[in-house]
Amino acid sequence: MRRLVRWELLLLVILAVTIVINSAMSPMFLTIGNQINLFQLSIEKIIVALMMTLVIINGEIDLSVASMMGLAACAFGWLFQLGVPAGVAIPMVLALGLLGGAFNAFWITVIGMPSLVVTLAMLIGFRGMARILVEDRGITGFPEWFNALGQQPILGPLPLALLVFAVLFVILLVVLHRSGFGRKVYVIGNSAEVARYSGVAVPRVKALLFIASGFVASLAGLLYTARVSAVRGDVALGFELDIITMVLLGGVSIFGGKGTLWGVLLSILIVLNLRNGMALANITGHLQTGVIGLLLILSVLVPNLVQSARLSFRPGSAAR
Amino acid sequence: MPEPVLAPPVLTLAGVAKSFALTAALADVSLELMPGEIHALVGENGAGKSTLIKIMTGVHQPDEGTIRLAGTAVTITDTQAAQRLGIAAIYQEPMVFPDLDVAENIFISHRDQGLLMDWRRLHEAASSQIARLGVTLDVRRAASGLTLAEQQTVEIARAISLDVKVLIMDEPTASLSAHEVARLMAIARTLKDQGVAVLYITHRLEEVFELADRVTVLRDGRHISTRPITEVTPDALVRDMVGRAVDHFVPKAAAGPHGELVLRVRGLAREGVFTGVGFDLHAGEVLCFSGLVGSRRTDIGLALFGIQPATTGTIELDGRAVLIESPEAAMRHGIAYVSEDRRKLGLAMALPITANISLASLRRLLGKLGLIDRRAELAMAEKHKERLNIRTHSVALEVGKLSGGNQQKVMLAKWLETEPRLLIFDEPTRGIDVGAKTEVHAIINDLAAQGVAIIVISSDLPEVMALADRVLVMREGRQMGIFAIEDATPEGIMSLATGERPADAA
Repeated sequence: MRRLVRWELLLLVILAVTIVINSAMSPMFLTIGNQINLFQLSIEKIIVALMMTLVIINGEIDLSVASMMGLAACAFGWLFQLGVPAGVAIPMVLALGLLGGAFNAFWITVIGMPSLVVTLAMLIGFRGMARILVEDRGITGFPEWFNALGQQPILGPLPLALLVFAVLFVILLVVLHRSGFGRKVYVIGNSAEVARYSGVAVPRVKALLFIASGFVASLAGLLYTARVSAVRGDVALGFELDIITMVLLGGVSIFGGKGTLWGVLLSILIVLNLRNGMALANITGHLQTGVIGLLLILSVLVPNLVQSARLSFRPGSAAR
Repeated sequence: MPEPVLAPPVLTLAGVAKSFALTAALADVSLELMPGEIHALVGENGAGKSTLIKIMTGVHQPDEGTIRLAGTAVTITDTQAAQRLGIAAIYQEPMVFPDLDVAENIFISHRDQGLLMDWRRLHEAASSQIARLGVTLDVRRAASGLTLAEQQTVEIARAISLDVKVLIMDEPTASLSAHEVARLMAIARTLKDQGVAVLYITHRLEEVFELADRVTVLRDGRHISTRPITEVTPDALVRDMVGRAVDHFVPKAAAGPHGELVLRVRGLAREGVFTGVGFDLHAGEVLCFSGLVGSRRTDIGLALFGIQPATTGTIELDGRAVLIESPEAAMRHGIAYVSEDRRKLGLAMALPITANISLASLRRLLGKLGLIDRRAELAMAEKHKERLNIRTHSVALEVGKLSGGNQQKVMLAKWLETEPRLLIFDEPTRGIDVGAKTEVHAIINDLAAQGVAIIVISSDLPEVMALADRVLVMREGRQMGIFAIEDATPEGIMSLATGERPADAA
């Protein structure tokens, strides 16, 4: 736990430095308007990253989230074209998210396949379904009220997606760090066998997480659709990498059992501000991605280096 | 079988000692292996056999003592060095590469093959190695289709292909059928005739008497005796293994009357694992499961706790038949299982003491919204810290940072918190120091006095004698008998466990 506190401290420092440099470059940077705008541009990824945090702490991974976002968007467009009113299509698409998550959960918890394999398959599967539904078309012309949900502020300066983010963050914060369920998530991530030998219903916890992950991804897909007012087969293509980057950079161990939502929030803020700062400094998008990638490598590397350095300085501690 | 008088020993260990942390695994052990001899090595679990093998194969370095190979002092730095010196070992679980064929497996450690494989030569060479063992086996078969016994044959062929002088066989027959055992013994004899020194480790005394020329007994990491097989009787061997002047045992005072019948098990079996297990257990009674490694004691515990449910037989709790198909079900019935493997099965090492203690009884700490009452959780941990004397400056510490004995207490605390009626301990004092061991024993006695029904699975005979009211002896998945503690002697338990005495004698 102490390691994590230190990690979060490091993130805080990086964030502060980024903000100071960015403010020096542009007086507009620290305005509420700009910060909301920053969030708004990546908000769907951020929402999915929150849920992904729990999945990874549980020792699993869901690679199919971005494809599920795409599938949700395309299913919505397809239903809309068929003449289903948007107000009816929304719950149908959310149900599809639950179903897709349950499908992942089935293969992982009932059949016992690794989540890496199952969700990799569904990364392809969900995307394929999305493309089949809309083919090469772009679908637009959604009702005004729907597009407004994605674009207009609905509470003070905050648009719906930011509210969803805030509510989800608080809910998951309580679930992960205060509830019995969250405790089980950590224990399973630490060792699924220890959990099983302690009477924890391991498959149930895992299944719930994957179902929730599918649901949140479909919700994010809908929010994306409302924000850009259009649907295509490649909606959210490749987003899973950004999402997983945010989580790992937040100090969540890819092996499970370690990490906090606060760390992930900090890493989200860093990624957003860093990208904005680089844009202000006229650094190209590709290079920006490179910098974020470098950060990710460091985030995985540094704790490991520190740990192995510590081990080698303590003779005998490596013995079993 | 008299020894050849003049042949010098091929391998000599003199005064070998090895300690891990504070425990001495081996102290002043000497052993001579003659060319062309089968030398049996026997001893209870934990007698130091494995450590000795690991020293001979270069896995561990001795703290003291010398190793001589054909008279020359050698240092065996690692397993490859052992191989170069002509020392090889095969184990109960053979190591073969399933996707390679038999011939490739045999020559896997040879490096002089050049760039291209000469398959014909490889297969011919492999066939001749197999033939040397006096068996037949198609060297073109994939290793994945081989039986365990055939895989062992491949391992032995691999060893002799490296010009082996000393072959260590570590409980090679533990999972073999009678027919396969006979075949393996024939191979051992063939190697002996070819001048190889075979060190044969086994728990089965009948194999010792059938096969060995000499037999060495280890106990508590010390060399007890080395004798020609013609000069030793099974009884004498068991006495050497159990050792410890028998009056050192402090058997429990004959148990007073126990409480109600808690557990009644009849005809319990899990296919292919154990069979024919039946016993009664009363409140306040301690029943110990004794037996050697591989006797399947732990599997009975796992069946009672629902990890590997039994396939036939009945379990009655308080006179009612119950089905236990998951740990959750077992816990609902008031059963707790304290695992032998703290690291893998017992504790979440990276989580704090508090979270580990509350894990099995989390439900009681949850409020209306499913949130954990942290104050109550802390109080729970502090209570057990006091009661079990867990030595730590803070219960917020990661469990992984505690000593083995304190980890054991945390695991105990976790299960005590569930207030079990039936508590199963699996090797409750393995790998912890003497002080903590005494404390754990006191806790177990305390719990029994409070009326908890207790099963202790233990390889440690003195522990069994100190804790048990009754002893159930297992051998190779079969229940050999149950002793009341008044009638139990270490020798009696051991001779049932090794199969020296048949089941019906109990």
